[in-house]
Amino acid sequence: MTLSSISSTLSRRPGIRLGLLLAAPLTWLVLVYVVALAALLVTAFWTIDSFTNELERTFTLDNVREITGEALYRSVTLRTLGVALLVTLIDCAIALPVGFYMAKVASRRSRHLLVIAFLMPLWASYLVKALAWRSLLSNGGLLDWAGGLVGLGSPGFGFTAIVLTQAYIWLPYVILPVYAAYERVPDSLLDAAGDLGARPALTFRTVVLPLVVPGLVAGSIFSFSLTMGDYITVNIVGGANQMLGNLVYINSGSNLPLAAAIALIPIVVIMIYLALVRRTGALENL
Amino acid sequence: MRTIPTRYTATRTLGGAVAALSLITLTACGGDSGSESTGAVEKLGENEGEVSILAWPGYVEDGSTDPKVDWVSGFEKETGCQVTSKVYGTSDEAFNLAKSGEYDVVAASGDLTLRMIAAGEAAEVNTDLIPNYEGIYDFLKDREWNTVDDKNYGIPHGYGANLLMYNTKDVTPAPTSWKAVFEDAPKHKGKVTAYDSPIYIADAAVYLMAHQPDLGIENPYSLDEKQLDAAVELLKTQRASVGEYWSDYTKTQASFETGDTVVGTTWQVIANLIDPKKASVEAILPSEGATGWNDTWMISSKAKSPNCAYAWLNHISDPKINAQATEYFGEAPNSDKACEFASEGHCETFHAGDAEYAEKIWFWNTPIEKCLDGRTDVKCTDYQDWTKAWAEIKG
Amino acid sequence: MRPTESPQIQLDAVSKAYGDVMAVDALDLTIGDGEFFSMLGPSGSGKTTVLRLIAGFERADSGTIRLGSEDVTALAPFDRDVTTVFQDYALFPHLNVLENVAYGLRVRGVGKAERSSRAREALAMVRLDHVAARKPTELSGGQRQRVALARSIVVRPKVLLLDEPLGALDLKLREQMQVELKQIQRELGITFVFVTHDQEEALTLSDRIAVFDSGRIVQLGTPKEIYERPTSQYVADFVGTSNVFDEEIAKRVLKMEGAFALRPEKILLSPATATAPAGAMTAAGVITESIYIGTGHRVHIELEDGTRLVALEQSRGALHPDAAEPESRGDRVVASWSPGDLVPLGTGSSRAVQHR
Repeated sequence: MTLSSISSTLSRRPGIRLGLLLAAPLTWLVLVYVVALAALLVTAFWTIDSFTNELERTFTLDNVREITGEALYRSVTLRTLGVALLVTLIDCAIALPVGFYMAKVASRRSRHLLVIAFLMPLWASYLVKALAWRSLLSNGGLLDWAGGLVGLGSPGFGFTAIVLTQAYIWLPYVILPVYAAYERVPDSLLDAAGDLGARPALTFRTVVLPLVVPGLVAGSIFSFSLTMGDYITVNIVGGANQMLGNLVYINSGSNLPLAAAIALIPIVVIMIYLALVRRTGALENL
Repeated sequence: MRTIPTRYTATRTLGGAVAALSLITLTACGGDSGSESTGAVEKLGENEGEVSILAWPGYVEDGSTDPKVDWVSGFEKETGCQVTSKVYGTSDEAFNLAKSGEYDVVAASGDLTLRMIAAGEAAEVNTDLIPNYEGIYDFLKDREWNTVDDKNYGIPHGYGANLLMYNTKDVTPAPTSWKAVFEDAPKHKGKVTAYDSPIYIADAAVYLMAHQPDLGIENPYSLDEKQLDAAVELLKTQRASVGEYWSDYTKTQASFETGDTVVGTTWQVIANLIDPKKASVEAILPSEGATGWNDTWMISSKAKSPNCAYAWLNHISDPKINAQATEYFGEAPNSDKACEFASEGHCETFHAGDAEYAEKIWFWNTPIEKCLDGRTDVKCTDYQDWTKAWAEIKG
Repeated sequence: MRPTESPQIQLDAVSKAYGDVMAVDALDLTIGDGEFFSMLGPSGSGKTTVLRLIAGFERADSGTIRLGSEDVTALAPFDRDVTTVFQDYALFPHLNVLENVAYGLRVRGVGKAERSSRAREALAMVRLDHVAARKPTELSGGQRQRVALARSIVVRPKVLLLDEPLGALDLKLREQMQVELKQIQRELGITFVFVTHDQEEALTLSDRIAVFDSGRIVQLGTPKEIYERPTSQYVADFVGTSNVFDEEIAKRVLKMEGAFALRPEKILLSPATATAPAGAMTAAGVITESIYIGTGHRVHIELEDGTRLVALEQSRGALHPDAAEPESRGDRVVASWSPGDLVPLGTGSSRAVQHR
């Protein structure tokens, strides 16, 4: 087949063309993503030789039974869920007014500066940010000093510190979609609502918010699922606390199937979250 | 090699990535490692030009942490083997990293060596090819953590105890017992630290051996269910006072320096690294004795540069080098000859060569179902049980 | 209905600047109760700004704005008894048609049942009661336009502002909507303030028209006044097509002093051989272009001195006494018109617009 006959065949067969175009990325996606996820699922139902750490590929529900039965996993799951929800709540609470200001109030120039300012933390390494928060929160750190001025100390390392740090780290992921959602709301809609008699608060509640909800949902999916899976921030500022990610990490060394089973918990939680979000219909507008 | 402060980053990120990766590779191609014995090499060949080493922090120093602390550059010049190294924080982490097959040489503690051997990750070592082996203390040779079925799997490096460190300003009077982190921990609520690994359960067992003899603990790595429960109970009580657990030595170093932590377990090397201008600390061996480590240089069964690996094993066992490395880390060296090169008093402090003293340190070991203390009437708890218990303790 | 009888909107010396640009320059304007008032001008002439000042979306830099007897200069849009139909309709995409229309009632706290029935009434008025449950995205442009209208009138404002509401519609729909708008305005009897750049639309709909240029009103009057008696070359040119004789050409062609405008439809073309009607002014020339425009022809003529004129020839039914074949390109013709059709233009009242 000559080159020209190949190209003429391809131009007549858009299906083949598309297939060839997508083959590489799809293979990659299947291998890296689907296979890894499937491997994880399967591993959760295996067991392990306790001394050599070698996998024993016999089907067992022990791991699932363990993570559903033991109080430990319930309390860690609840803690993780609590952190994820709080982080999402805080980020949404910040993103709503900030996004509004950026998209609808700020001048074009300061808007660009704000976007850059809020994206800037993304250029820094995750670890640098977490470690920065560690020094902020530590004894004699900035928060300790500032808190001292109003009669409070630093919250110290622990639950609060995890929530603060995670809220900070994932904030850009929430602000960006919210900001984009505000951008997509035409100014004339705000004018129209005011024109028809709605005061600003009512305009926000009845017109702006419903239109920004898809962006908010997108952002919350980021902050929620990223927090659900985190284990590094916990190590750095979490004090003696552990989250699901830490349980996965500690078990990945000695009991891979159990680690895989624990890893299923955040997956299930996120799926439930997505299902709930789907019911609100916000996903269709993404 | 990187400087110590940046290692934190590398260890953490890579640790996470490798953990995730190994999850995939293991499930995809797990079980490729059997216990097939290929036998030790008989003769050494040409050096390969590079060697990668997985070790505890402070074991492979090229002067980048402290220009005076360098026993890598000389080795590189002498042998032509360029050294790349990676540090780890816990034996579990090391086990996962070692399994990746990326490392020619692994410095392993007793709770890791046997797992490495059983998993077929360690190669048999022909000690005849390591001239410096001869001078090593006899009581470190052919021990249960480096020799299996009369086959040697590594060269003893040094040993030491997990110490009790405290801030001399905040913790008074100066503690002499592990009580400081157990019964007395509430005095420093939120500022107590402990090593973040299931193996720390043994520290509680050591304490219980001294304070609750009726539990009948003979060996802190050999706990039946009742004994484990008692240790777990003790650690759960301690948990209420713990500010944070540590496995990254830089983290605990920083915590002591800022005052976020004032008392807890440590290694001598951490005590050495703490800036005296920031915090005044003291590290002691408490009256109950302590857990500790007895480390072995092993060669990976998947080593790409076995000749350079042998060269490294010989180099690090050189009395002068061994003295330097073990002194820097804060542990006893592996030979009397090394003591000649060590600073005055070092070998005395760490009771180097004192076999009897070494018996009092409970070197890290891997808890297994078959009781290590010889009991046959009960089943002992294994490392998996400990891992589970550890997660529960942290809650 | 003259505005002075019962003014509904009164602007006194209102100015608004954006940076260095004077969008509205010391504007005085009075609009009467129940008037259909159009603001006509090219984009950037300030007409939309005036509308937004009345609605309250923009604050005047100086001057006062009154609605009825109330000074609203400092009031926010939601405190003004005025509603707006936006150029892009600004329908709320997350609400269906009925909810959109009922929105103004909802924010006023009108009960659910009442607002639903009033919204349906308003929808019926624009003949859209059958699409009440649809989302705005499911409607055609014309339907959206009418929903926007219904949404604005349902709250029974004293004044309805319309910002180029027909701009996005095709010609047929636009003409149909013009008729409907006029009907609705008559039915409601409220003041409509209509912004457009389409002179034909303004002429068709309005009681009065204000022609804008650079933030000022250059002429204010009834459509007939504006069209028949433009006071400046700018208006003559912007409103419809005009043949403008500046002073030099007027001297040469008309033998008259001053500048004049002459509408193309006022020119009669006859073969060069025919005699001009008595009292007519004439000029001979050659047809350079004859463009068919459906209702007739637009004929371009070049006079002997080089001046160009445009004339409009109606197509006529066969029964018309003057029915004849139109002249074609290259024909020599005589253009004639009555001196009374010449509109004298003020000098220097506005910048000159090039003859098109």
